[in-house]
Amino acid sequence: MLLSVFYKEWLKTRWFVILYTAMGIVAIGYIFMALKHSFNFSGTRSIWSTILFQGNQFYKIFKFIPLAGGIIVAIAQYLPEANDKRIKLTFHLPLGENKALMVMQAFGALSLLVAFFVFLGLIYFLGLIYFPVQMVWDIVLTVLPWSVSGLSAYSIVSFIILEPRWPFRFLYSIVGGLFLSFHFVHAGTACYGPALSGLFLMSLLLITAPLSSGYRFRKG
Amino acid sequence: MNNAIECNNLTHYYGSKRIVENLNFQVKEGTILGLLGKNGTGKTTVFNILNGFLRPTDGKCLIFGEDTQCLSPATKSRIGFLIEGHVQYSFMNVKQIEKFYSGFYPKWKPGSFWEIVKKLDVSKNQKISTMSWGQRSQVALGIILAQDPDLLILDDFSMGLDPGYRRLFVDHLREYAKSENKTIFTTSHIIQDMERLIDDVLIIDFNKVMVQSSVSDFLSNFKRFDFELENDDVELDNETLIVNIEKVRNKVELYTYSSERDIRNYLAERSVTPINFSQVTMNLEDAFIGLTRKY
Amino acid sequence: MEKLSRYTLMFIAIFVLSIVVPQLYWTAFEVPAKTPFVQYSCVNHDFLIYRPGEKKWQDTKGNQYTRDEYEQRLPLFFFKQLYTSGTLPDSVNNQPLDMRSLSREKSFFRLKTADIDAPKNNLFPMFESRSGRAMLEWPDDFFRITWRIEFIDAATNKVLEEKSQMFSAAMFHNGFVFPAKNIWGISSPKKSVDEGYFIVDSRDQLFHLKMVKGKPFVRKIDLPAGLKFRHIDCVDFKNRTFYAYLFSEKNEIYILTQDDYKLMRWPVNGYNPEITDIKIYGDLYNYTVIMESPGEVKAVVLDKNYQYVDSYTETWPVREDTKVGKIFTSVFPAQISLTSDTSKFVSFYFNLSGGFYWLVLNFFLVILQLIWLYWKKKIFRNHVADLVIVAVCGVFGMIAVHLFPNKFYK
Repeated sequence: MLLSVFYKEWLKTRWFVILYTAMGIVAIGYIFMALKHSFNFSGTRSIWSTILFQGNQFYKIFKFIPLAGGIIVAIAQYLPEANDKRIKLTFHLPLGENKALMVMQAFGALSLLVAFFVFLGLIYFLGLIYFPVQMVWDIVLTVLPWSVSGLSAYSIVSFIILEPRWPFRFLYSIVGGLFLSFHFVHAGTACYGPALSGLFLMSLLLITAPLSSGYRFRKG
Repeated sequence: MNNAIECNNLTHYYGSKRIVENLNFQVKEGTILGLLGKNGTGKTTVFNILNGFLRPTDGKCLIFGEDTQCLSPATKSRIGFLIEGHVQYSFMNVKQIEKFYSGFYPKWKPGSFWEIVKKLDVSKNQKISTMSWGQRSQVALGIILAQDPDLLILDDFSMGLDPGYRRLFVDHLREYAKSENKTIFTTSHIIQDMERLIDDVLIIDFNKVMVQSSVSDFLSNFKRFDFELENDDVELDNETLIVNIEKVRNKVELYTYSSERDIRNYLAERSVTPINFSQVTMNLEDAFIGLTRKY
Repeated sequence: MEKLSRYTLMFIAIFVLSIVVPQLYWTAFEVPAKTPFVQYSCVNHDFLIYRPGEKKWQDTKGNQYTRDEYEQRLPLFFFKQLYTSGTLPDSVNNQPLDMRSLSREKSFFRLKTADIDAPKNNLFPMFESRSGRAMLEWPDDFFRITWRIEFIDAATNKVLEEKSQMFSAAMFHNGFVFPAKNIWGISSPKKSVDEGYFIVDSRDQLFHLKMVKGKPFVRKIDLPAGLKFRHIDCVDFKNRTFYAYLFSEKNEIYILTQDDYKLMRWPVNGYNPEITDIKIYGDLYNYTVIMESPGEVKAVVLDKNYQYVDSYTETWPVREDTKVGKIFTSVFPAQISLTSDTSKFVSFYFNLSGGFYWLVLNFFLVILQLIWLYWKKKIFRNHVADLVIVAVCGVFGMIAVHLFPNKFYK
């Protein structure tokens, strides 16, 4: 039964997830290609010193890619459910409504985590080609809060799409947007250390968010 | 015989607007019951409460003894729901939708699904979104029948369908229900279709059940008498005898549960001599309109 | 489960409101407290204070000066301006003044709390100290210290084994116990001379490491027992008197003299690296240590032998004690910030409002919520948790409770 729910979610999102992951890989490829170009034109040592001592984040075009992924997957999953209230079909299934929603959320979250894992893995291993491990870890630590924002964005957008009342959708969008902005505070490389686990924990808790709007949807 | 559906003291308000109040009815297992009521009398509200998509202000509905607000998965597996408009997951194709639903129902009968769907002139890979309304409804019907549910709750099964598809629905549903002693609770805005399908009728009006009986009993007990008046100024308004009266100039349609003799006696008491007095045979739609008024 | 979902969302909303609303409040209403600029006058033998908000120049006795009078009383600080305007005195306290000595002895050092509480670098350039060139040049490799010291060539991203082994051996033979706990130095060629790095090993021993004509220079610095350093900041002063300012874990300030590695403790108390920004002005006769904390500035003057001369302290109401601040603490139970003036890390800086006036407002909000429950004919026991949230989180809780209405009861 749960596999059937996964199957439905896969049918809705497969092309979005595949294309999004492919675009992310291309973006990372571009980042390292541009890095190599900088090495050739400015000298490797010079680029290293700007990264180490001047806060150069050559990978900053990656910043909003996880956030975009979270939004895309949420829309791909939940817009078809919200149209004509098709989610009623899932709520009618011989499955607890909350269980059904949580399985849907698990699918979306897992798809994103797989994509982010691929991205981070690429950044890490490509980074090791050009930099010592200490610098690569700093890059990963800088990129992690952006990735966590993708997971939070996924849950927040899912929750908003399922919310039946428009005034509340507007208010939730504001609160959600402000919360997501906390993942992009202007800070130096690897500065998010202390806040990261808190933000990650919140992103995990937020996976339950659509249960609230789903409940309101069900109760009228 | 147990009740498949039971609604007790059902009350619902949207804000301060009363929709239903203290509504009580039961649907016995094995019956095919149609719900009728004018617009705004609470049919959609009752369906939404039964579907679990609305929490009533007061009272409750039970399906197979469980509160519809928290049906167990085991009970849900015994219920086939049809959502108004034959709404389905349109991003799936025929093959995918069968595969999806079959995973939820242990009693799934793929034969029932494919028997209906093969009547469609569509390939297995055709997406639901590219189908016509009628074709979609056929897929929806196939899904419901393949679930082999004990209770079917159909919210306006004829919406958007041409006569051919509506006839197909009625024939398949009736045969399914009768052959396996299933229960159907349905509504439709096309009462002729309902009449072909249902055995029993439930007519509601805000807070009261106006009629709950078999269709045959209703139509034999509820009568229409047409006649003309010599004088079109006459007012006929005996609420004990007359349920409804439609008067256009001197032509009168009189609806009643009383006998012809009682009506003639009443008219005589009022010194009214009816002209061309006759009883008109009604179908369910005529009877419904007669009971609830045209406007 | 729906309740968990609702509480999660309320928690997030309260979290967001606790950050955004106070921020908006301060942006709208905060009045900056302009820190007075304190300097020691060798002419007056007293402190002179410039108050930028009021544009006043005065001494500790309250005597007011014009700007020119003020600058004339600080000839060692404003010598360039005085020289330009032709008012630089020939001597001060019977000591002749010349531009060269004035310039050589003038130094400025600044350390903010955020500089200490910041991510640490792990890779450093080892400059050639005696290249023979007028300007220092970037090396092509960077070093890290793990179980040994490794020099990594930037172009190939590979360890230079020979150089790494040579330096590791030299460090090992001088008693260095790998790995390093901290590495401090000036990682830029924009300095007059390279003096390498000061490194604390895994046993809290302090070493001086640099590269001289391609060879390792390692010197272990004797420390008194138990002395550990929180931070060492290397300096590049023209007078070349000492290598660095050192800040111990007990908040003491030391300097390390050049060449003979004498560790001299300065008689300066009151430095708290968690809240204090420190500035040290050096001139021909003195060192002036200015410690700025929220609501306080403390200046301590030492002579050139690092002996105490004088000190001055001034306080003013901190933000929370101003009128605007008192309104804040009456309305909001707490404030969360993601950034802090005292750290470069992004974290959840939680600041509970001092005093208990906000509890009064919270109490009224609870009453308001009770009235609302009664008006809407809600069942009290279904809303107890919401009342607790309003009682604790005040305005933020009230907003959250209504933003996510409680309809999750049978």
